[in-house]
Amino acid sequence: MTINEDYLLRIEGITKKYGVNTVLDDVSFDIGKGEVVGLLGDNGAGKSTLVKIMSGVVAATAGDFSWDGTKHPHVNRALTESLGIETIFQDSALVPQMSISRNIFMGREITNRLGLMKIKEMDAITSEILDSVVTIEGIKSSKQLVSSLSGGQAQAVAIARAVHFKRSLLILDEPTSALAVRATEALLDYLRALKADGISSVLVTHNLHHAFEVCDRHIVMNHGRKILDVRREDTSVEELTAAVVEGELGIRRYRENATAA
Amino acid sequence: MSPQETGTGQHVLTAPLETGAITKVRRLADNQPVTTAEKFKDYIRYTRGRGALEIGAILAVVIIGFVIASIASPAFPFLSANNLSGVISQSIPVLAILAIGVGILMIAGEFDLSLGASIGFSSITFIHVSNSFGWGWGVLAAIAAATGIALINGLIVVITGIPSFIATLGMAFFWTGASIFINGTAPALLRKGKDEALVTLFAGDFGFFRSQLVWMIVVGVVAWFFLHRHKLGNHIFAVGGNASAARAISINPFKVKLLSYALFGAMVGLASILISVRTSSMQPGSTEDYTLMAIAAAVVGGTSLLGGRGTIIGMIVGAALIRIIENGLILGKAPGFYIQLFVGLIIVVAAIFNKLMEGKAS
Repeated sequence: MTINEDYLLRIEGITKKYGVNTVLDDVSFDIGKGEVVGLLGDNGAGKSTLVKIMSGVVAATAGDFSWDGTKHPHVNRALTESLGIETIFQDSALVPQMSISRNIFMGREITNRLGLMKIKEMDAITSEILDSVVTIEGIKSSKQLVSSLSGGQAQAVAIARAVHFKRSLLILDEPTSALAVRATEALLDYLRALKADGISSVLVTHNLHHAFEVCDRHIVMNHGRKILDVRREDTSVEELTAAVVEGELGIRRYRENATAA
Repeated sequence: MSPQETGTGQHVLTAPLETGAITKVRRLADNQPVTTAEKFKDYIRYTRGRGALEIGAILAVVIIGFVIASIASPAFPFLSANNLSGVISQSIPVLAILAIGVGILMIAGEFDLSLGASIGFSSITFIHVSNSFGWGWGVLAAIAAATGIALINGLIVVITGIPSFIATLGMAFFWTGASIFINGTAPALLRKGKDEALVTLFAGDFGFFRSQLVWMIVVGVVAWFFLHRHKLGNHIFAVGGNASAARAISINPFKVKLLSYALFGAMVGLASILISVRTSSMQPGSTEDYTLMAIAAAVVGGTSLLGGRGTIIGMIVGAALIRIIENGLILGKAPGFYIQLFVGLIIVVAAIFNKLMEGKAS
């Protein structure tokens, strides 16, 4: 495991049980400042649960959560929001019956002292984010309902929201699943740019080529356990593929083959 | 293929355009309406399919029809002061206030079928407390009773996760029983607690309209600002539309649902007072009809049965439409069961219409 004293987020011994099902079993890792970490694994490996725990949406059954050297015993969304963590969820976490602008500012409305929303200001900022942060075609107005958007457009709204509010760590759970090739390229470029600003990101993806292209480090999950945690220069797409598809056995076979060769 | 730097130093996520491609990037900012006509078109576009617009047009047609009939024939006295003040401005506001309460709750994704029973209980509370301690205390007691009942319902639904349909159906029987338990089956009469100030405040006659209409307008304006302009109103839409998305953005669905139940209760309390002062009496078990009438008014006004969608104006227009057609049937001397036929039909038609319109919203 990489020892990184300059870490931003450290999780230790994270375990999550749903009844008798152990979804996560003693998972530990660090995320460094400005580091781009790929979180990989097959379906059911526990990636999405791990994302929800890191985002503070789901509480772990056991384990520690430290941020910048401070241990936080109670992790909830209010805490992670105050730390500057933003997540793009796989199901995009949007309300279809609400407008784009109201979705972006949902729970974080710009208001006056009475709590009344400044609708014009929120609409203007929404147009600005959608114009400048993600380029996606076909969105006509920030007043449009999310239910009238295509899958890719809705995903762009979810990305725009997270990008607008993130301050320290951006977690992306399968962000490219509904995006067109060009938008995906742009998103991956954006993660590199964030790194230059010292903002960390965690990229959860099925696409190993995307992950390998952009991530500094790769963590592979298998049946709720971490089976590989390796820097980019110490691995290859082939090893990651073997780990994702065949688990620990795959890693061993790949390394034996590599040594034999 | 590298992210561009903007003047603010903020990295911008922009896909590079293929070289040579003749593409004019149309920005959202370019789509903003400028002229009044464009703004009006924009407004219509984003009001369509959200309830109030379509039903408002239907109401306008019905009213114009009734007005013409009234002018043409003295046998249809729709425009008489007696009808406007005595019937319409008493019957619409109570239903509209109840529809606003039910509608807000429906937007949050919940129901309360104990509405009618709660009106009975809080009216009896109002009458007894007013007779014993004066109507000021009676008003407070009625609102407290109705809000308390709604909050108990809300807590049962939120804590146990039982569908609110079933939980509040059970509670409807409970509170009807409780009304008979504290009052007996004979009607409770508002006698000692009644004075001129109370009647002026809650049932005053001002020629062509009554105090109830003023209450409806005040409640409507406050509820509109709360639901459509306040951040808590936004949270109600979020929770009713997609509770797990709201939770992921640190909105607590339980708190929002309890708040909606409390508001619903306050509306029921106010409606109970308006009903009791007008009739000066209340018999336990006589108010059950209000439950479905209020839900019907909200649905007719475009409130979604599944949560997340609805407008205050729609709820008021829905209540007005039901009451005005009811009034027209009575003025036209239609037999009483026509009204039941009509209300039953309009609920189903409105629900189907809502479902069709939901797809049209942009």
